[in-house]
Amino acid sequence: MFKNSVKNTLLTIVLSLLVGALLMLVFSYNPIYAYNELIKGAFSNAFNFGGTLEKFVPLLLTALAFAVSAKVSIANVGVEGELYLGAIAAAWAGVAFKGLPPFIHILISFFIAMMVGGLWAAIPGALRAYWRVNEVCTTILLNYVAKYFTAYAVNYPLSAHMGVPRTPDIASSATLLRILPPSRANIGLFISLAVYLFVWFMIQRTTLGYKIRSVGANVEYSRSIGINSKRIMISGMILSGAIGGLAGAIEVMGIYGYFLDNFSTGIAFDGMLVSLIAINDFRLIPILALFLAVLKQGSLGMERFTGIPKALIDIITALFILLAALQLLQSLRSSKLLHKFSKKKELA
Amino acid sequence: MNLFFSNISMIFNINLIHSTIRSSTPVLFAALASVLTQQADILNVGIEGIMLTSSFVAVIISYFTGSWVLALIAAMFTGLIFAVIIAISHLNFKADVFAIGMAINMIALALTRFLLQKILKTSGSFYDKAIVPLPRFNIAFFSNNATLKSLFSGYSLFEILGIPLVFYVSFMIYKTVWGLRLRCVGQNAMAAATAGINVYNKKFEMILWSGILAGIAGAHLSLGYSQMFTENMTNGRGFMGVAAMFFGGANPLWTWIGCLIFGFTDAIASNLQSFGLPPQFMLMIPYLMTVIVLAAAMARYVKIEKYSKSALVSSAKSSKEA
Amino acid sequence: MNENKLVLMQGIYKSFENVHAVIDANFDLNQGEIHSVVGENGAGKSTLMKILYGIHKPDMGTIFVKNKMYHSLTPADAIKLNIGMVHQEFMLAKGVTVLENIILGNEPHKGQKINYSEAQRKISYYIDNYGLDIPLDKMTKDISIGEAQRTEIIKALYRGAQILILDEPTSVLTPQESEQLFKILEAMCKDGKSIVFISHKLNEVMQISNRITAMRQGKTLATVKTQDISIPELAKLMVGREVFLNIASSDHSSRSEVVLSVENIFVPGEKELSKIRNVSFAVYKGEILGVAGVDGNGQSELAEAIAGLRPVEKGKIVLNGVSIEKLPTLSRRKLGFAYIPEDRNSQGLNAGMTIKENLIGNVFYKPDFAKLGVLRENNIKLLAQKLVDRFDIRPPIIKANVSSLSGGNAQKVVIAREMNEDASLLLACQPTRGVDIGAIESIRKSILDAKRNGCSVLLISSDLEEILSLSDRILVMYEGKITGILDISEANEENLGLLMMGAPHV
Repeated sequence: MFKNSVKNTLLTIVLSLLVGALLMLVFSYNPIYAYNELIKGAFSNAFNFGGTLEKFVPLLLTALAFAVSAKVSIANVGVEGELYLGAIAAAWAGVAFKGLPPFIHILISFFIAMMVGGLWAAIPGALRAYWRVNEVCTTILLNYVAKYFTAYAVNYPLSAHMGVPRTPDIASSATLLRILPPSRANIGLFISLAVYLFVWFMIQRTTLGYKIRSVGANVEYSRSIGINSKRIMISGMILSGAIGGLAGAIEVMGIYGYFLDNFSTGIAFDGMLVSLIAINDFRLIPILALFLAVLKQGSLGMERFTGIPKALIDIITALFILLAALQLLQSLRSSKLLHKFSKKKELA
Repeated sequence: MNLFFSNISMIFNINLIHSTIRSSTPVLFAALASVLTQQADILNVGIEGIMLTSSFVAVIISYFTGSWVLALIAAMFTGLIFAVIIAISHLNFKADVFAIGMAINMIALALTRFLLQKILKTSGSFYDKAIVPLPRFNIAFFSNNATLKSLFSGYSLFEILGIPLVFYVSFMIYKTVWGLRLRCVGQNAMAAATAGINVYNKKFEMILWSGILAGIAGAHLSLGYSQMFTENMTNGRGFMGVAAMFFGGANPLWTWIGCLIFGFTDAIASNLQSFGLPPQFMLMIPYLMTVIVLAAAMARYVKIEKYSKSALVSSAKSSKEA
Repeated sequence: MNENKLVLMQGIYKSFENVHAVIDANFDLNQGEIHSVVGENGAGKSTLMKILYGIHKPDMGTIFVKNKMYHSLTPADAIKLNIGMVHQEFMLAKGVTVLENIILGNEPHKGQKINYSEAQRKISYYIDNYGLDIPLDKMTKDISIGEAQRTEIIKALYRGAQILILDEPTSVLTPQESEQLFKILEAMCKDGKSIVFISHKLNEVMQISNRITAMRQGKTLATVKTQDISIPELAKLMVGREVFLNIASSDHSSRSEVVLSVENIFVPGEKELSKIRNVSFAVYKGEILGVAGVDGNGQSELAEAIAGLRPVEKGKIVLNGVSIEKLPTLSRRKLGFAYIPEDRNSQGLNAGMTIKENLIGNVFYKPDFAKLGVLRENNIKLLAQKLVDRFDIRPPIIKANVSSLSGGNAQKVVIAREMNEDASLLLACQPTRGVDIGAIESIRKSILDAKRNGCSVLLISSDLEEILSLSDRILVMYEGKITGILDISEANEENLGLLMMGAPHV
C-alpha cells in the first residue's frame, strides 16, 4: 500500500509541475528558469533553506492535527482557529510568566497553548458527537470567531500599543533557540518531529490509538466492543486541537517573538490539504509537508528573480490537491472498497 | 427612559427588515445551492469557492463590457464549469467530495488573487465606477410615506427574486415528478435505480444546478450586495449557506429561515457598532450566532427523535409526532 | 423449442473482482408457471435474477425475453419488458410516502405536478384485486415489514409486471403470512402472470413451484419438475453431500440459578411496533433460551438494551446479581457478557481493521495484551493465531483485512472473539444469517459448546428451524411484548407461528 501511495504521489507531483510549466508558458514565462529559481530559493543558502524549514514546521503540525481528527472520522477544518488561539495564548504566557527558567517557561507556554487549542476543538467535537452537528460547518465558522477574537485581543487587552496590531515581545526565556541563522529556523523543528513520531506511535501501538482507529473506521462496532465512542471522538478532537495550538505557539515563540494580527495566510488549510493528499497516511505527511514548504519558500525567490507572481504557485499547489484527489481514485478504489465490506464478498 | 428607547430604536428599526434581507440574500443563494445537492445526498463544500470566483468574474465582465446581464451570465457559466469539475471528479473518479470541495475553495482563492493581479493590476480590492451593478428596484406604490418608502425601495434584483425562488424550489422538490425522483435518489439510490431512474444523471444535474446558483450568489455578492471585488470577499458566507441548509434539514423554506436569522444578526451587529463596542466582536457575532443556532436546531432534532422512539410515551401520542 | 419460453438465459457468467458469482448458468421460464430457484446462501441465485432484472450486466451469455435477444439489460429495460423484482433488501426510500415509492419512475402527472388522486386510483386496483393491503399515505419509515413487502409487490405490478421475481420473500414472514403470500401468488398465476421464486427453504419450494432450478457455487445444476424430485434429493443437489442440520442438543438444563433477569423493562424503538413495553423473563444457568419472532418485533431493541447500546427507560436488567441497566457496555462485558451482534458487517466487525485486530476487540485493554497503555504485539499475535486455528478461519492470515473473508468465515471471527473469554451469558443475534451451510454447522456447534462449558445463551433468530434445533426453551416476541414461553418439548412450527402472529399462548 505504501509503495503504491509513494508512486502515485510522485506521479502527481510531476504532473502538477508539468501543468504549472504549461501555465507559465501561457503567461509567457520560462518554466525552466522559473523552477531553477524555485529550487535555489528553497535550498541555496542558510537563509533560504532555513526559510524552508520555517515553513515546514507549521505545515507538518497542522497536517498532523488534521490527520489525527481524520483518524476518528471528523474533519477538523478549524485547525486555523486553533493555531491562532494557541499563538495568542503563547504570546500571553511568554510575557505573563517572565522570570521563570527557560525550560519551564517554554513548557508552560506550550502547555497553555495546547490546552487552549484542545478545548477550542472540543466544542465542535462535542457538538458532533452528541448532536450530530456537521463539523465542517462549525469548525469553519468557529475559525472566524477565533480569528476575530484574537484580533480583538491584540488590539485591546493584549496590545503592545505600537501602532501595529501586535502583542509585546515575549521574554527571552520563552523564546525557542535558533538553529540556522540568519534564518528563523528554530528548535521547533525537532519538537515538531518528536511530536509527529510520538503521535504516530500512539495511534498505532497503544490502546488509546486502537480505540481511536476503531471509532474512526466503525462507530457501531466500537460501541459493541465496549468503547465509549463519543468520548473517543472528543478526545481525538482535543488532541487535534492541541497539536494545532502547539503549531501556533511555535510560530510565536520561534519565528516572530510576538503575536501579530493575521500572521497566518492559511497555513492550517495547506496543512489540511497535505493531510488529504497523504490520504491521512502518516508516513507520507512529512514528505508532502516538506514538498509544500519547498514550493512556498522557493516561490518567494522565484518571484523576486523572475517576476512570476507567487499566486501562480498557489494555483499550482491547489491544482496539485485537485489532481491528487483524483489520483486517489486508483489507491482509494482498492482501499475504499475494503472499507465498505461490499456484499459481493458474501458470495464466496 | 427616553434615552433607552431612542437607543433601542437605533438597533431595532424599520431599516432592520431591509438590512436583514440585504445581508441574508448572498447566503440564501449559497444555501439553496447546498439544498439542491443535499437532496441528492451530496454535501457540496465547494460553494464558497464557486461563489468567490463567480463574484470576481462578474466584476471583470461588468467592468469591461458595461453590461450586468453579460456579467451575470458569465458568473453562472463559471459556476457551471466548476460544477462540471466537481461532478466528474466525484461521480466518475469517485474522489471524496469533501476533498474536491476544499480543493476548489483553495483554487478559487489563489486564482482570484492571481487574476486580480494579472488582469486588473491591483491587489486587495478593486473598485471602479465603470462597474455596472445589478439593477435596483423601488416599489413606487409607497413613495408618499417616508418610512414605508425606505422599506420598499432600493432592493437589488436578487434580493427580490430570492423570496419567490425559495417557494419555487420548495414546490419543485416536494410536488413535482422531478422533485420526487430527486428525493428518492438522495434517500435510497438503489431504490431509485431499480425504479429505472438514472442516478448518475440526476446527481450530475443537481451539482450543475448547485453551481449555477452559487454563481448567481457570487454575482449578487459583488454586483448587488456591494459594487466591487475584494480578495476573499465571501468570507465564509458559502459555509453559512451550508449551515443554513443543515439548520433547515435541507428544506428550502426552513433553510430560508436560517438565512434570515443570519441576516438579522448581521444587521443588528452593524447597528450595535455605533455603541462603541469593539468592531471585532461585531464581526464575530454572525458566525457565533450561526453556530449556536445550528447547534440548537440539531439538538432539537435529536430530542424529537428521542421522544418519538420512547417506549414511555403512549402509542397515540408518539405516532402523532412521527 | 425456444419459442414457448417467456424467458431464456443461456451461458451466463458474472464475476465481481475475484469472486465468480455465476458460472455458465442457464435458466428458462414458461408462461403462467411458478419456477423456484434454490440454493444455499452465496449460490448465485440473487445475482442471476438481478442480471435478468438489469441490476447487473453479465460478463458473457445471452438473455431472451419473449424471443428478443439481449446481451444485457438495465432496470428501465426490464420494466419495459414487464419484468418486476421484489428484492430481499427493500428498495424503498424512507422519507417519502408509500404511494410515492410505488409511483416512482412512473408518476401520473399534470405538467410538472404529480397527480396524486390519479395515482391513488390506479394503485387501488391492485390492492383490491389481489388483497394487498397497504397504507398509502404513511411515511415509508413507519410501516411494518409485511407492509413493505406488499408495497414492493404492488410496485412491480403497477409498472405492468407480468413476470415477477421474488427474492427470499418469506424470510421476513411468519408461517401464516407465508401461506397468505402463496395464495396471492397462485391468484396471480391464474391471472396469467409468471413467477420466479428464489428461496433456500425447501419445504416452501416443494409446496408452491411447478419447476425447480437448483444452483450451487454459481452453476445451475438441474432444472426439474417439482413432482419429479424429493426434498432429500433436492438438498443433496444444493449442497453436494448429505446434510444433517438437526444437531440434537444434549441434555436439557435443570432450572437452577438465574444468570440474567430482565424485569419490566421499557426500551425505545425505531418503530412503534418494536418498542419494548414491560417485558420480563429470565435466563437460567446452562440453558439456551431462544427468542423467536418475525424481524422487527422488538428483538433488535431487546438485544441492544441488554448489550448496553440502547437505553432502558424503565425497569431492571440483572446479570449474575448485578444491576446492569445503567452500566456502559464495557462494564457489562467485564461482568461476563459476550455479544454476537445482529449485523456482522456494521456491528460485529470493523472492516477497517485486520483479522487480528478484530479478534482482540474485547480484550485489548487487559493486562495480558497491554502494558501501561502500550499494546503487547507478541501476545496479541499468539492469541489471534490460536483463535484462527481453533475456529478454522480461512484463509488464516491474521494480518489480512477482515473484509477479505467470506460471510461464514467473517462470522467465525466474531464468534471466536466472543467465545474466547469465559462468559456467563452469550447473546447471539442471527448468528447464521447470510452464512453458507458448512459454516452454519460449525457455528451452531460452537453455540452448543458454549452451553456445555457452562455459558448460558440467549439466542435471537428469525430462523425457526434454528431456534427449534438449539433451544431448551423458546420465548416468542410480537410487537414488543412476549406472547409466550414454551419448553422445547411442547414447541413446534405451528404453535410458534401462531405466537409470532400475536395469538396469545393457550
